[in-house]
Amino acid sequence: MAVSPEFLKAEREQPWRVELRSKMKNKERTALTRVHMNEVDARERILSNIEVNQGLNQVQAMAEAQRCLDCPNPTCITGCPVEINIPKFIKHIECGNFADAAKTLKETSTLPAVCGRVCPQEKQCESQCFYTQKMNAEPVAIGYLERFAADWEQNSGQMAIPEQAPANGIKVGAIGSGPAGLTFAGEMAKKGYDVTVFEALHEIGGVLKYGIPEFRLPNRIVDVEIDVLKKMGVKFETNFVVGKTANVEDLQEEGYKAFFAGSGAGLPRFMEIPGENYIGILSSNEYLTRVNLMNAANPTTDTPIISGKRVAVIGGGNTAMDSVRTAKRLGAERAMIIYRRGMDEMPARVEEIKHAQEEGIEFLTLTNPVEYLADSQGRVSQVRVQKMGLGEPDASGRRRPEVIEGSEYLIDVDTVVVSVGVSPNPIVPDSLPDLKMTRWHTIEVNDDNLQSSIPFLFAGGDIVRGGATVILAMGDGRKAAAAMDEYLQKNQ
Amino acid sequence: MQNLNTTFIGIPISSPIVVGSCGLSSTVEGIEKLAKAGAGAIVLKSVFEEEILMEYEKNVLPNVGPMGNDLEFFDYYDYQIKTEVLNKYVQLIKEAREKVSVPLIASINCRSTSEWMAYAVKLEEAGISGLELNLFRLPFHTSQTSEQLEDEYITIINKIREKVRVPLAVKISPNFTNLVNFARRLSATGIQALVMFNRYFNIDFDIKNEQVISGGAYSNAAEYMLPLRWTSILSNRLECEVVASTGIHTGEAAIKMLLAGARSVQVVSAIYKNGPTHIRAMLHDIDSWMKEKGYESIDDFRGNLSQTMADNPEIFERVQFMKYFSDHKA
Amino acid sequence: MNKIVAKEFFSENVVRLEIEAPRIAKARRAGHFVIVKNGVDGERIPLTIAGSDPKKGTIDLVVQRVGVSSRKLTELNVGDEITDLVGPLGKATHVEKVGTVLACGGGVGVAPLLPIIEAFKLAGNRVITVLAARNKDLIILEEQVRKYSDEVVVMTDDGSYGNKGLVTEGMEMIINREKVDLSVVIGPAIMMKFASMTTKKHNIPTMASLNTIMVDGTGMCGACRVTVGGKVKFVCVDGPEFDAHQVDFDEMLLRLSGYKGIEKEAELNYLSKNCNAK
Repeated sequence: MAVSPEFLKAEREQPWRVELRSKMKNKERTALTRVHMNEVDARERILSNIEVNQGLNQVQAMAEAQRCLDCPNPTCITGCPVEINIPKFIKHIECGNFADAAKTLKETSTLPAVCGRVCPQEKQCESQCFYTQKMNAEPVAIGYLERFAADWEQNSGQMAIPEQAPANGIKVGAIGSGPAGLTFAGEMAKKGYDVTVFEALHEIGGVLKYGIPEFRLPNRIVDVEIDVLKKMGVKFETNFVVGKTANVEDLQEEGYKAFFAGSGAGLPRFMEIPGENYIGILSSNEYLTRVNLMNAANPTTDTPIISGKRVAVIGGGNTAMDSVRTAKRLGAERAMIIYRRGMDEMPARVEEIKHAQEEGIEFLTLTNPVEYLADSQGRVSQVRVQKMGLGEPDASGRRRPEVIEGSEYLIDVDTVVVSVGVSPNPIVPDSLPDLKMTRWHTIEVNDDNLQSSIPFLFAGGDIVRGGATVILAMGDGRKAAAAMDEYLQKNQ
Repeated sequence: MQNLNTTFIGIPISSPIVVGSCGLSSTVEGIEKLAKAGAGAIVLKSVFEEEILMEYEKNVLPNVGPMGNDLEFFDYYDYQIKTEVLNKYVQLIKEAREKVSVPLIASINCRSTSEWMAYAVKLEEAGISGLELNLFRLPFHTSQTSEQLEDEYITIINKIREKVRVPLAVKISPNFTNLVNFARRLSATGIQALVMFNRYFNIDFDIKNEQVISGGAYSNAAEYMLPLRWTSILSNRLECEVVASTGIHTGEAAIKMLLAGARSVQVVSAIYKNGPTHIRAMLHDIDSWMKEKGYESIDDFRGNLSQTMADNPEIFERVQFMKYFSDHKA
Repeated sequence: MNKIVAKEFFSENVVRLEIEAPRIAKARRAGHFVIVKNGVDGERIPLTIAGSDPKKGTIDLVVQRVGVSSRKLTELNVGDEITDLVGPLGKATHVEKVGTVLACGGGVGVAPLLPIIEAFKLAGNRVITVLAARNKDLIILEEQVRKYSDEVVVMTDDGSYGNKGLVTEGMEMIINREKVDLSVVIGPAIMMKFASMTTKKHNIPTMASLNTIMVDGTGMCGACRVTVGGKVKFVCVDGPEFDAHQVDFDEMLLRLSGYKGIEKEAELNYLSKNCNAK
């Protein structure tokens, strides 16, 4: 599915791009400095759920777009799991053709406004940028520009509905409405299929709704994208658990020909250390779901939330950052990350860590909980932690945490959010005894086409990867749609 | 049959042969066979902290996706592995507990005072009679002194003793600068038994292919002499029981250990080689010897040749073969 | 969707709702539960299914007022639609012929118990049911229970109906009289704890259906975690039924009280607002 170099070359040779390149010398372009994201001040933003990044304005975006050299060999594209034609959309921004920029994004990405906000660009496209690779300089702000173009389209009120092949009447189902399922649905709808997305929760969007907080990804951004899918004819069935409400076989009887499982990695993992079941200790999934999906912090809703004054979040991933920053917004006086490795080893996006630091989050790195203590009511009151040292690098290239004997001490807490990873949701696999699973309880698929051991079932996103990013899940949705299309055409 | 009763970690057992921690006890069927063959107690297969760490590093971390995207999923996966391993172990204990009546001892190996302490509690709840702590670490940290290492071991034991109530045995290697002193420190922590010694996984070299290979997993019958010496030296000097281990392949070797003052002996390699019925054969040999000697019970002869009882205790302290070699100069 | 077609008060605080939910009515088995959320600002709460009519496409839910969310649900009327209803969730009861089954239901626990005794009866077992509640008014579904039981023993704390005494006394009476092969206990956590201790004393295999705090009900949040046999289990995907003798009821009781303070306050707020409005 890779974009051919010839095609990219032909696009690059279009007169408007040639002309644009000639307008400014590369030396002038590289002399420009990278734009800074407009952010709400940390002291102000922790008082509400306001989105931290405010996006670029037109002047900033067009200036940043000038930095892009429109390289003959755009390595940035290789860093993008959905292979967005990055130079093309950036050059459209440089010219002020924002609608065309958005259109370019939509050629390969279903949710650009989402990706522009949550992708770890520093590890993807931006890590492959000419500036990073050859000049040891700050990369073009591809993520900011992506977000700018996508937002511009959303704000224009004229969301382009992608072109669709004539309806072929073939029914297919997507299990789960997270980034993988939505992307799959969009791609299949483009190909003319009759797509239904089954969602277990009462809201569409999966992790984009229950997981990622409003201050990082506002729900309205997601809703606009879902709206486009609805306009394309995609049907949504909420409160529908495939494997429970109806089995795959039941749905086959109703005419569904193939399925895409994108049911995600739902099950929170715990460390199984003493005291972990005391009141006030909860998974990041529960914490974020209560706040994001159930809006529990709002007094008009019925869902309760424990919002402590001293909140410890265990873990160093994006979910941990989301949780700890949420705690701060819910009024925590001390909001702490407790992580057993060092700052450099954290899996979280650099930007999230930076934002958290600005917001007064404490980072207790090289620190690992070993036990929780509770008051007489069974409410967590303290966590016993152990200091860690860093040993030799392990297979992930990160230095291995090692216990420093005799370094234990207690920290007062009233809420603990355990954010040490999730396991794949077992409901779909449990309902399909013939489905082959991996050692990690993920669905085993053929890497080339994401087909599972059951031919009519394709799978992608976290149910296959365990835990990955929104963009990888989307890449899977797209790949699975292409493969399923081929499969269904062959088996007609 | 003579009275073969003795104790292990203070628990009365009906034969002095304790099956040491090994793969033979990794299934309920295996445990049943060992119990039927006459084992006095069975130490279950050890749960290795290191093994889990290795599985995490060898099998899990290489699965981290391109560009580090899956890191969040795998960052704490070692805990997941631990939980799975521990749950399986607890299950084994529970099922075996229903089938056999011999004391079952869980064995854990930990290299630090981390959350492993918590697992000891889980094993206790599962119904084990005791816990064997396998202090099994190749000391190769260049910066760590012998004393620091010994202190660490003592810390780990004290921590475990805070957490669990079942009797505790500690199995050590012979590699301590002053073993008598360290053994006394260990005994003073209040443990019920000191098991000497565990065996390192031996490495060897294949000189043809210039490769590192396994040096053979089993002990050989000559290895019993090292534990024999130390059992003799320590058996009357410690508060806790001394249990001999390594190289005990025959009833004869077992008798020697008992004479040295061991309360019981741990056997592994010989059972691997000859099957569980080898326990019966060893017991038979002990029984015959006792009859021949007119001993009614193990207590009648235990420790007869321990260092403090011996007529010439100096011989135990003699470490060089000065005379022997001086007489046999080539 | 999810229209209420019938409503019946069992007592002042316990209501039966018959709801249109054809897919759930068809797919549900004994032991399953649903998650209900009413209104945009509603809370997701788990409720066990007391019965269903697959032909009519309806399910029966029994709701006890214990907080704002359940109270609001009981205030709905025939013709109203519940915004969100998802299920059937959890693992179905493992039913087989074992001989004599001693079923014990405390309070509204009788509602989820009903389909289970029905299933055991149909599988050819002798079913003896002990119904227990504080007083006569709180004994529910007795008639239906009698239909699938060979014998029913009613226990009330105050003696206002049946025998005076606790559920465990009723159980002891049966156990001392005849051989019991399996016991099923459903009710408040404290009742299940003592019922389970009773059967443990007599070595009778026992299962309990747990009712914990849940948010999503599909394994996602972990709010429902309980310790069973030393292992952490999620009631929503691993349960709701477990070997009662292995359940750490003390921990479960503790966890159930997690939001008590907040909930009580919320309920008082709700009640005072509603009174002012009137």
